[in-house]
Amino acid sequence: MNLETLRKQDVRKRCEEALMKAKEYQSVLNAVVTFYDIEEQLQNLEHVASDAPLYGVPVVLKDNINTKGVRTTASSVMLDQYVPVYDAHVVEKLKQAGAIIIAKASMDELGMGGTNLNAHTGKVNNPWDVQRISGGSSGGSAVLVASDVVALAIGTDTGDSIRKPAAFNGVVGIKPTYGRISRYGVIPYASSLDHVGYLTAQVKDAALALEVLAGRDDRDATSSYEAVGKYASNINSDMKGKKIAILGNVMDEIQNEQVKQNFDELMKKLEARGAIVERVHFDDQLMHLLLSVYYIIANAEATANHSNLDGIRFGLREDGDTLEEIMMNSRTKGFSSNVRKRFIIGSYALYTENQDKIYKKAQKVRRLIVEELKRALETYDAVIACAAPDVAPTQKECMNGKLKKIQQVADNHMVLGNFSGYPSMTVPTGYIDGLPIGVNITTKPFDEQTLFDIGVAIEEETGIQNQCAEVKV
Amino acid sequence: MSFEVIIGIEIHCELKTKTKMFSGAPVLFGEKANTCVNEIDLGHPGTLPSVNKKAVELAIKAASAFQCEIDPVLRFDRKNYYYSDLPKGYQITQQFYPIGKNGQVVIEVEGEQKVIRIQRMHMEEDTAKQFHNDSGTLIDFNRAGTPLIEIVSEADMRSGKEAAAYVEKIRMLLDYLEVSDVKMEEGSMRCDVNISLREKGTTAFGVKSEIKNLNSISNVQKAIEAEIERQTQILLSGGKVEQETRRYDEALKNTVLMRKKEGSVDYKYFPDPNLTPIRVDENWIKEIQASLPELPDARKKRYMNELGLNDYDAQQLIQNKEMAAFYDEVCKHCKEYKLIANWIITELSAALYKQNKTMKENPCKAEYLASMIQMIKAGEISSKQGKVVFEEIMQGKDPKKVVEEKGMKQMSDAGELLSIVTSVLDANPQSIEDFKNGKDRAVGFLVGQVMKASKGQANPTLTNQLIQEELKKR
Repeated sequence: MNLETLRKQDVRKRCEEALMKAKEYQSVLNAVVTFYDIEEQLQNLEHVASDAPLYGVPVVLKDNINTKGVRTTASSVMLDQYVPVYDAHVVEKLKQAGAIIIAKASMDELGMGGTNLNAHTGKVNNPWDVQRISGGSSGGSAVLVASDVVALAIGTDTGDSIRKPAAFNGVVGIKPTYGRISRYGVIPYASSLDHVGYLTAQVKDAALALEVLAGRDDRDATSSYEAVGKYASNINSDMKGKKIAILGNVMDEIQNEQVKQNFDELMKKLEARGAIVERVHFDDQLMHLLLSVYYIIANAEATANHSNLDGIRFGLREDGDTLEEIMMNSRTKGFSSNVRKRFIIGSYALYTENQDKIYKKAQKVRRLIVEELKRALETYDAVIACAAPDVAPTQKECMNGKLKKIQQVADNHMVLGNFSGYPSMTVPTGYIDGLPIGVNITTKPFDEQTLFDIGVAIEEETGIQNQCAEVKV
Repeated sequence: MSFEVIIGIEIHCELKTKTKMFSGAPVLFGEKANTCVNEIDLGHPGTLPSVNKKAVELAIKAASAFQCEIDPVLRFDRKNYYYSDLPKGYQITQQFYPIGKNGQVVIEVEGEQKVIRIQRMHMEEDTAKQFHNDSGTLIDFNRAGTPLIEIVSEADMRSGKEAAAYVEKIRMLLDYLEVSDVKMEEGSMRCDVNISLREKGTTAFGVKSEIKNLNSISNVQKAIEAEIERQTQILLSGGKVEQETRRYDEALKNTVLMRKKEGSVDYKYFPDPNLTPIRVDENWIKEIQASLPELPDARKKRYMNELGLNDYDAQQLIQNKEMAAFYDEVCKHCKEYKLIANWIITELSAALYKQNKTMKENPCKAEYLASMIQMIKAGEISSKQGKVVFEEIMQGKDPKKVVEEKGMKQMSDAGELLSIVTSVLDANPQSIEDFKNGKDRAVGFLVGQVMKASKGQANPTLTNQLIQEELKKR
């Protein structure tokens, strides 16, 4: 589904159909946490100009995006009955643009996970093969675009939480530059790594959506004043002279020959279009620290970020004889063991006696890693690599984490975009046995335009655009 | 064995801003519970802090007045701990890079000046207020997120008096700067005192106790003196002082134990990733510093050097910002600086006290007081009459009208007075005789007679002069 086709249909009809479809697919995909009653929103369209960029466009939100008056769980027992008292900045933006929110989508609890298996509402199924995982943590959002329910789904990305599920579900997933879209009202995972982004079925829609969602918000101190571009109308897929760097560290690890072949062929096509495609190689030692550094920083920030979830003012409250007991019992029952484990790791890294050797060291390594990327982008317009080493795994394959060790860099390299805050997008490039694969592109800060330009060039070469999975109910 | 007392003080002060340190909710005192809050103050998921520029401005003012070095890069850190009055589970503070450091203030105790060094001054946010009762704990989040500065002194004070003088100095400076209400009784200024004893002549610090929640400057001194006594008794009897937090009990006139410190809490401070460092425009800092009001020390110096006041009068005036401001206002209309000071310090203060008013509610107009003092100086009315006139000024009346209405005009015409003097002398030959025999007292009696005859309107100085002259002639 894309925005252009959608606009040709009747507003009410397209919104109701999207909602119906989402409900119909729920038993197969399990991608939704809460369905909306859209009547009030449809009536409120009276106050929106009919040429508003997302006028009457059905969208879904990841369930960590606060919606005033509508339950927002972040997939945690702790927030199972939490009803926000305010709208997130992106929700305000979407409403102003005329969008109709039809559902809140499943995710890994508090964004902690890459499989969507750690969701309070259970596994989300990949529409291309329901045995396989959707990827996470924005799994529900990716699946609802891939199954043709909506043309736009909001997600968040702390490690690769938009871009990995995008690759596994054959859709476009982007997290723009850090500070490009306000984080106000988004239940965090790790503040310095969290990005608001989204998933679409084609690159042009991604460009349009950024025009709606980007811009300075005074309530987010990390939000940027940088002017928002006319990304969609400025798209130029001419690759002549574009300098593109292939990230060798990722490609070296990939073992699936079909994945490699798909990538190599695409690079040749870009070269044929006039792009200068070369290989770069980042420091191996640094690249093998990606996951550890990510774990330390993300969880250190997370342990503080979620200290507000104490059962006192909102959320789950368990009884206890003392204040400490109430807090401890609530937090023990409110979080899964996986989340509690991450809090402990984060807390351990922050102990004063550990800070120098763990937390601060991780920050230093993060800076060194970003230096590698920055240096490459001084020479090249974009860095490109396979988004994932293989197609979406099954739940069983996930549990048995063997592959992960061998392909550690290939599996985790997209966290470079979070460490640096640079814009990064995944686009689908092909299918292996009917299962989608994709590439990831990263550019200089605030150069989302180049992402879209290269993305469209790729679409033109692969012919993959608006390709959705057929869901059998 | 005699001991040296070591005292360091931490002062928390609420800044006078319209909104909170990191949210747009209003800062108001005495409002209904939980009405001055928004989602940020309650620590709701997804909220983010934004720095209040006015709070930064006020903090720069304060740091400048304390002669601190100012860090032009604002950096904020998280102090992590769980408590029901701390909505986010962490407090945003400035642990690693305080906005001000290495400052000082000068205090004066018993005529001796002493420098008290200020180690650091940082910005942070206040917690919620809790009320414990039988049915449980009630929390009012109105205070949560109110901007605070914390001023940490070096352990430079050696007595309760010095500590009280230090707190008073800080209070006065913040009051002059108008950065805070500095009301200890309302909690807008709070004071924690660290105190330890060591044997005179030794250098190692003893074990300290911390006295929290002192609600007045006089209690700072009383609490310290009681605590010195307590620690002295422990040490003299061979005991050990334990590290603990205590509070001052006014009824017992002693400090009482709140809690023992069992190992220090690890607050796991780290930079708040939601507030990336902000570089403050150095010109803005300079502008703020250039616009600082005249501070009490400078004002006192000016009163002594330029207006010729003595130390006592100058000190009395600067002690109260509003009083000093009123003094300056009166001085604009009248050059009798010493007289003005006397009238304000004694008569005005007493009159306000009687009316149960503060200097802020002073009904006396500066021009009126000035014009009354002019009349006294010019001999148009006597000082005694002045007191009657002053009472009317306190009711808002113009002194000139009062003098006219009451017919108070002083008789200063030499010709007019002379005729009264002559008739008084004629009627009192015995006094003339006494004067000739060297009894100076006679003059006083004659002046009194002239005053009586003139119904109190004769100018006493002139009368005295005329009598002396006339006596010599006879």
